[in-house]
Amino acid sequence: MKKTIILSAIVALLCGCNPETTNLDIVGMFSGSSAGIDERIDDSFRYNDEHGMPVINATAEEYKVYVCTDTHVDFTRKNWEQFIHAYRADLACPLALHLGDLINAQRHWDYMKRPLDSIPANPLKNDTLLAVAGNHDLYFNQWSEYLRLWKTSTYYAIVRTPAGKQDLYIFLDSGEGFLGQRQTEWLKQTLGWADNQGFRHIVVCTHTHLFKRDTSQGHTSNMPLEETYALIHLLKQHKVEMFWCGHDHSREITNLGTMTSIIIDALEDPEKHPAYLIATMDDDPIAYRFVDVK
Amino acid sequence: MKKLSTLILLLAAMLPAMAQVQYGTNQYAVRMNIGYLHNTTYGSHAGFDFGAFMPINEHFEMQADLRFTTANAHAFGVQLRPKFAVPVGEMFIDARLLSGLYEKDGFNDLVQAIGVGYRMDYVSVQLGMSTRLVIPYPYDWHDGSNIIVEPFNLCYRVEAFVRPQTSPWNISFCISNMTDYQIERLWQLIFMANGRYNIDEHWQVNLSALCKPTGMFHLNAKYYAAEVRAGFAYNF
Repeated sequence: MKKTIILSAIVALLCGCNPETTNLDIVGMFSGSSAGIDERIDDSFRYNDEHGMPVINATAEEYKVYVCTDTHVDFTRKNWEQFIHAYRADLACPLALHLGDLINAQRHWDYMKRPLDSIPANPLKNDTLLAVAGNHDLYFNQWSEYLRLWKTSTYYAIVRTPAGKQDLYIFLDSGEGFLGQRQTEWLKQTLGWADNQGFRHIVVCTHTHLFKRDTSQGHTSNMPLEETYALIHLLKQHKVEMFWCGHDHSREITNLGTMTSIIIDALEDPEKHPAYLIATMDDDPIAYRFVDVK
Repeated sequence: MKKLSTLILLLAAMLPAMAQVQYGTNQYAVRMNIGYLHNTTYGSHAGFDFGAFMPINEHFEMQADLRFTTANAHAFGVQLRPKFAVPVGEMFIDARLLSGLYEKDGFNDLVQAIGVGYRMDYVSVQLGMSTRLVIPYPYDWHDGSNIIVEPFNLCYRVEAFVRPQTSPWNISFCISNMTDYQIERLWQLIFMANGRYNIDEHWQVNLSALCKPTGMFHLNAKYYAAEVRAGFAYNF
C-alpha cells in the first residue's frame, strides 16, 4: 500500500512536470521556464525598434475600442470567434484589444489564431487587433510562440482622429505578476513623453489586475503590494485615465480617484458569464459598457 | 540575474522559513533589527525594525512592531494573542492590525486579520482571514469613495523549528503570506528563515532572511524581493 502511494505520487509529479500530459506547469511555480521579463522586453523592444509603434487612423472623432481578455482557447473557441465577428462588423471600431491569456496552455496557438484569418475583415475599416501576453501565454516556455504570432508585449499604440486628436494606449507585460525594473523605467519615460503630446485619453492595458475587491479569491494572484502602489502612483501622476486588465476572470471596477481600474470578465468558452468591453472614445471622459456573450 | 533569481528561488524552496523570532516566550522583551532589503520595485534599501513583546499573563500576550525603510515605505503593527494550553502544545488566537505606510506612493495599506493557531515545540501553524483597506492620502475625509476594500483574504503560516522553544538557540523555517510588517494576498507566498541565540538570560541575537518570489500561481515564478535582517533582543 505504502509503495503504491509513493509510486502514484512520483508518477503524478512526473506527469505534472511534463507539458505533454498536463496544462499546468508545476515546475513553473518555483522557477518559470519562459524568458524572464528583461529578456522579453529585449525581444519586444527589438521588434518595436524595427517596426515602430502602431499608429491607427480613426475615421471619426468618436470611435469604439473592443476589449477582451482571458479567452483561454484550447479545444473550443466559440466566444473568441463571436468577439472577432463583433469587432469586425462594427464600422466605428478601428481597434480591438486582447489583454492576455489568449490560449489556455501549450499547443493551441495556431488554433487560436486561425479565426483571425478565416473570419472576413471589413475592407471599409481599419482592422487592428493588439495583444499583451498573459501568464498562460508564457509558462511551459511559450514566449517564443507568443512572439511568433504577436511580435511584442511591451509597446504603445496611438489612435489619430481626422481632426488630429490622439489617444494613447500603453501595453505592459505582466505575465509573471510584476513589471520589473526596466519595463517600469520604460513606462516612466513613455508617460513623461506623453505629458507633452496633448493626448486626449491615456489608457494602460496589461494582464495582471491590481486589486481583488470581490470575494473571488479563486485562483488568480495579484502583483505584490509594493508594485501595486508604486504603479498606481506613477499612472495617476501622469494622468492616465483608465487601467484595463484581466486575469481575475470576474468584472471589477475600482475608482482610484482620477483613474479607473477595470478588470474585464474572461471570454473563455466554459466561463459562466463571458463578456467583453466596448469603450467609446470621444472628447468626453471614456464611456464603456460590457457585452455579455451568449 | 536569471541565475541569481533561480538560485534564490531554489534556496527558498529548500529552506522555507519564518519571521516570528521567539525573542521572548514568558518575558517582556524589546528588539531591534537592521536589514538589507531589495525588491524590483524599490531596488536596494535599508530597513530598521523595532519591536516589543508583552506576555501580559499566562493567557494573553501582545506584540508591537515598527519598521522604517529608506525606500519611504514604513509599517506599524499590533498583535494580540489570547492563548490556551492544551494537553500537547498551545492553541492561540492571533488578532492583528497592520498599517503599511507607503509614503512614497501615497497609500496607507490598513489590514485587520484574525486567525487561530496551534504551536508546539517544533511546529507552529496558523490560519485566518484578513480585510484590507487601501486609503489614499492626502485623504479627503468628506469622500469615502476613494477607499478600496478587499473584504476577504486568507492568511496562513506554517513554521517548523529545529529545537524546542526552551532551547538557548533555535532556527525556524516558514511559509506564509504574512510577516510582522506586511500581509500579502492569498497567493503571494513568502519564504522565511530565522535564527536566534540567547547569549545570556537577557540578551539574544537574531538573524533572519526572507524571499518573496512573484508569479508562483501565474505558474511562472520569478524573483521579486529578498531581505536579510540582523539584530538583538533584550529580555527583561
